[in-house]
Amino acid sequence: MKPLDWVVLFGWLTFLVSYGLWRGRKSGTVNDYLLAGRTMPWYAMGLSIMATQASAITFISTTGQSYVDGMRFVQFYFGLPVAMVILSATAVPIFHRAKVYTAYEYLENRFDAKTRALVSGIFLIQRGLAAGLALYAPAVVLSVILGWSDQTTTILMGSLVVLYTTTGGIKAITWADVQQMAVIFVALILALFMAIHLMPQQVSFLDAVTLAGAFGKLKAVDTNFDWNNRYNLWSGLIGGMFLALAYFGCDQSQVQRYLTGKSVAQSRLSLLFNAVAKIPMQFFILFIGAMVFVLFMFVKPPVIFHPVEMGRITQSTEFKPVEDRYNAAFEARKQAAQHYLDAKHRGETLPADLEALRSTQKAFDTARQDGAKLVDKVRGSSGFNDTNYIFLSFVTNYLPAGVVGLIIAVIFSAAMSAVSGEINSLATVTVIDVYKRHFRKSATDRHYLWASRIATVFWGVYAVIFAGRGGGFGALIEAVNMIGSLFYGGMLGVFVLAFFFPKVGANGAFVGVLAGEAAIFAANRFTSISFLWYNVIGCLVVLATGVLVSKIETAKYPR
Amino acid sequence: MNQPDEPPPFLGTWKRVYTAVLIYVAVLISILYLFSAATAP
Repeated sequence: MKPLDWVVLFGWLTFLVSYGLWRGRKSGTVNDYLLAGRTMPWYAMGLSIMATQASAITFISTTGQSYVDGMRFVQFYFGLPVAMVILSATAVPIFHRAKVYTAYEYLENRFDAKTRALVSGIFLIQRGLAAGLALYAPAVVLSVILGWSDQTTTILMGSLVVLYTTTGGIKAITWADVQQMAVIFVALILALFMAIHLMPQQVSFLDAVTLAGAFGKLKAVDTNFDWNNRYNLWSGLIGGMFLALAYFGCDQSQVQRYLTGKSVAQSRLSLLFNAVAKIPMQFFILFIGAMVFVLFMFVKPPVIFHPVEMGRITQSTEFKPVEDRYNAAFEARKQAAQHYLDAKHRGETLPADLEALRSTQKAFDTARQDGAKLVDKVRGSSGFNDTNYIFLSFVTNYLPAGVVGLIIAVIFSAAMSAVSGEINSLATVTVIDVYKRHFRKSATDRHYLWASRIATVFWGVYAVIFAGRGGGFGALIEAVNMIGSLFYGGMLGVFVLAFFFPKVGANGAFVGVLAGEAAIFAANRFTSISFLWYNVIGCLVVLATGVLVSKIETAKYPR
Repeated sequence: MNQPDEPPPFLGTWKRVYTAVLIYVAVLISILYLFSAATAP
């Protein structure tokens, strides 16, 4: 990082925290603090929803995933717009008219206190885990760039987030998110531009697309159905829709965003904005990863993208032969790529050229794996994975001064927006669904306002502590989605029962959630079904059990 | 008491807005499918 990068990074962080504090300065009641007085316009809510979801993990991990695995991950978002339409037509008006602070408050109105307690408890567990992971991502960034420990970085990030979230509440978060999304869009465009600009002169943009396509990196849609294939059209449309229904319909970190809307129409528009923008945005981020892959065919990347581990293995006597093999594999792949492009330009590409190109990639991958094995050997560990460092390596080594600072600032911003939303929603559920409901039913508004602030600090500290364990997860984005999928199916099921099954009673809903969660954990433990299907399985089991239990109850005790 | 639905700022009714969004998604997925096919070797 050059001095200009530091100026950009710290200038942006200072502005962001100050702006959040300024916008949230009038949050003097619980309604203001938790729901912004229900005054928010659609664009602020829409960008805030997008910012909360587009965490630092999205930038660090998604680009790396595209580099390694291609763009098929975009299918994960195919069901999201459908879910947004369903939620706009159902959940948004129901929650708005119920005048609730949390989605789980509605469950007590519809069922009973135990169902509300169960579901809010599930939310606190799963969102608490995710908050820690979302904070861990920028810790990775700083530890790579500055050589700071993950702990130092996590504490710094956590403190900034807690400062403006505790002081200004959701108003501060939402308006800070709006600024963050603006900068995120600028930084993404710059990153893509630079990835293309840095290609050798003889490689045009179309050539880069041709090469990425030749390696299957641009295969965005896979129509083959397979239960065990994580990303295909059907898992994306159906599994992705159920996940998005659960995330945006039952997860307080999202529901709270559109509860701040000044009308049902404004809240609906905020969700529909995401329905329209999300897939193109993810496509764009993944495309950056694919372009970085092509760039690294001509500009030699390090054997290992993790700079600390790379420094460590270079000290090993076993590194030289690994490096020699890697260099030879890189040169062979580079020549094969150039040969393939030349043949393409002449219109003479043969299947053998493609086969030759792919075999050089295999040799290159093997050489990189040898490097990863050496890391494991030196560390005395296993399963080293540097996917999360690919994009950072590109940013820090190849982008000009100023742009590096901006992109690092974006990664910070993204992490802060995600974590602030999460700890704010965790605090809301803690105060409204736990403290106010079970411990202090009638106190002054000021009392609950301070309880909300204390709960925010508590969850901020919790996230910092949990983040210290984030390094144990592989590609971060999958870890977050995986955690969500273990719990969302049960939550979604109970809300579907509440909205669409008027005959199902409280006991049916309660037993249904337990059965749904049991089914999901069984699927996770005993089958290889992709996690995207867990939400479908969990939701269907909740519905079936809820209806069955209610029928048995009605037969036993007719009304 | 339920408030009447505020109309959307465009297309007149929410049903039309939802339909437009769903058509948009179908077109978007089709474009991505064609993009995948066009960039495959």
